[in-house]
Amino acid sequence: MSSRRSRQQSGSSRISDDQIIELVSKLRQLVPEIRDRRSDKVSASKVLQETCNYIRNLHREVDDLSERLSQLLATIDADSAEASIIRSLINQ
Amino acid sequence: MRNQSSVKQEFLRKWITGLRRYSCEKKNMSFFERKKAIKLSADLAMASTRDKTTRWSQALIANNTDNVFIASSSSSSPKKSSSSRSRNMTTLMRRSRPTRVKSAKKEMSSARCIAKRLMEKRTRKLKNLLPGGESMDEGCLVAETLDYIQSLRDQIEVMRCLVTASQLIINPS
Repeated sequence: MSSRRSRQQSGSSRISDDQIIELVSKLRQLVPEIRDRRSDKVSASKVLQETCNYIRNLHREVDDLSERLSQLLATIDADSAEASIIRSLINQ
Repeated sequence: MRNQSSVKQEFLRKWITGLRRYSCEKKNMSFFERKKAIKLSADLAMASTRDKTTRWSQALIANNTDNVFIASSSSSSPKKSSSSRSRNMTTLMRRSRPTRVKSAKKEMSSARCIAKRLMEKRTRKLKNLLPGGESMDEGCLVAETLDYIQSLRDQIEVMRCLVTASQLIINPS
């Protein structure tokens, strides 16, 4: 992590280097792309970029799962046995 | 840090409650209406597990409350959070001082400028992705981001389970 950069980024309105370090260490447990990167060379803006990409992927996943669930529920014939099972699951 | 499995259980319970209420009120939904209901109730259920302790969850709930469970309003536009540009953001822009080139070489200072601008740009992008992020100051941004990511992961895991279970029920082969 460049100490040079920390000297220029003064003021509390900037994301501090410490916060970037914390973000990286926590994210490394979660995000595969950051995990494979060498720890000493990661740049703050790259970390932010990977984070944004990851969040976008997660959003896409939620959207996709909602779609699949909607499709599944649509295929259930309202009077079928499957419908009653799912209905009882949901109605617990 | 809360017990992750208790968070997931609470999410599942609330999500299913929401789904049930929505399906009672609207009988014949189109595919997209149903999908929207599923996604919205999931997002709200996850946000409510935070119990107002994080800003993103409060913003998400505030932005979506009009949409919820009202059979008549099929597509009301979500209420945007009132703060347009946060004060911190404008201060940040105004405070970006001109490059103080004392003894540094010109190439060095423009590289620093670029780096700084890149950071600002990416910070802005991150803020746009977080619910309520535009009005967050950078001090809490990291913590909120981490919490939001964790909750999205939990939400996805539970949703995936329900999808898989439903698939197995429908196609037992």
